[in-house]
Amino acid sequence: MKKTLLYEQQLKLNAKMVPFAGWEMPVQYKGILEEHKAVRENVGLFDVSHMGEVLVSGKDSVRFLQKICPQDISKLETGRAVYCQLTNEKGGIIDDFITYRLEQEDKEKYPKYLLIMNASRIDEDINWFSRNALNYDIVIDNQSHNYSMLALQGPKASALIEKMGLKKEKQPKYFSIKKTHLDTVSLYIARSGYTGEDGFEIIAGNQVIEFLWHELLINGKEFNIEPAGLGARDTLRLEAGLHLWGNDLDENTTPVEAGLSWSVAKDKKERYNGKEVILSQLGIKNKGLYDVKKQFIAFEMVDKAIARHEYEIYFEDKKIGQVTSGTFSPTTGKNIGLGYIYYDKIALTSLNNSNVTCGTIIQIMVRNKMYNAKVVKRPFVEKHTRI
Amino acid sequence: MEQRTAPEGILCAKTHEWVLEEDNVCTVGLTDYAVEELGDIVFVELPEVGTTFEKNEVFATIESVKAASEIYMPIGGKIIEINEELISSPEIVNEDNWEKGWFVKIKAEDFARDSIGLCEYEDYREEIE
Repeated sequence: MKKTLLYEQQLKLNAKMVPFAGWEMPVQYKGILEEHKAVRENVGLFDVSHMGEVLVSGKDSVRFLQKICPQDISKLETGRAVYCQLTNEKGGIIDDFITYRLEQEDKEKYPKYLLIMNASRIDEDINWFSRNALNYDIVIDNQSHNYSMLALQGPKASALIEKMGLKKEKQPKYFSIKKTHLDTVSLYIARSGYTGEDGFEIIAGNQVIEFLWHELLINGKEFNIEPAGLGARDTLRLEAGLHLWGNDLDENTTPVEAGLSWSVAKDKKERYNGKEVILSQLGIKNKGLYDVKKQFIAFEMVDKAIARHEYEIYFEDKKIGQVTSGTFSPTTGKNIGLGYIYYDKIALTSLNNSNVTCGTIIQIMVRNKMYNAKVVKRPFVEKHTRI
Repeated sequence: MEQRTAPEGILCAKTHEWVLEEDNVCTVGLTDYAVEELGDIVFVELPEVGTTFEKNEVFATIESVKAASEIYMPIGGKIIEINEELISSPEIVNEDNWEKGWFVKIKAEDFARDSIGLCEYEDYREEIE
């Protein structure tokens, strides 16, 4: 089991450790509810050093990235970020990741990108990159072992970063990244996260991460900062309606089916893995050649019960789908969930192959009993990420 | 969580329930160890008064933020009272697992028989650590 460089520091803060994607990670410190609240109201600090950092550079870096995801990387400006999916030939999602276009240093001739990916998928992703990199003049540099990463999330994150020496007007804007210094430490700071709140993701060398962690917690005291674990990270991302690979996304699910059509470039000229399927599902080209097999839904429980991963979804006594993520929502006090409705199952019900729309009452099977739930819009909690 | 000590005379099951018997009526709750491990409890489902369960049968379900867990009958018998407060305020279990956070009261069918295998708090702590 791998440990991040902050393991000892976290034990001192009474962290409860759990295995996650081959790492021993803090699931909580004081408690998930308290940490969740801290992020929504003040600021929380997450160690996300388990996540993968991969640099892609070289003459063909844009051409290569264009091939592996449905997003249009050629339009990505320096210092900006884009949410991407790594798709296979069937349009299924191998992983989802954020691509940051880094500033080119003086002697660098070509654009350089930083890809942040799921810890559990790094090996798979790198394999896929290698298989797709033939005939491309690129360098794939997996820096996951050298970089650590922190997520500082919450409405007071910006004030804390200012206190650490980076004035608000110098801070990166939403979905942007900067190479800069914090407290004399050289690092990348991005305005992004996985909570639905304003905040930053800080990527820095392993050697400085303990110092940064410490400084952020000390300076954050006046903002009521709390260290936060994977438990709160999960409830926060769920409230924000954000997908978790392995729960809500997998290799048999396309971005269209996952409700991620908004993130797909509709007019991208280059071929990419899964393009035929995705464009057909979007109804842009070869309409009907590849049908959408399922629909991603968000729901809140009407009856008192908590839906969990893999619970079954019913409509008029017929099983029509499955829950992929579910929890108690600390912000709303409701029980919320995400899941898929399978179209071949719906066709046989009175929904008659039309979309399951907001307001539709479905049932979730919890411990062999049916509980009503209502289909709702994502996110469950209003996002505060636009700066 | 405020540290409280276990009440005198309780018996504990390996599945982390505690029992306090008085005149054949058993009050049942969850041990401090279990509550600590579960974290914030956000949902408690209790049986109906009048239901009879055998020892080791599932009689209640609780959910922490992360997951659902089942609670087993440490002593067989009939449910004569449930702690309704837990349904609207499940956090009471985290705040006071020994007193205010009790789950049910059971009229024991055969306390002497069913208490075999339960142990005193100190022995329970020793066993799980």
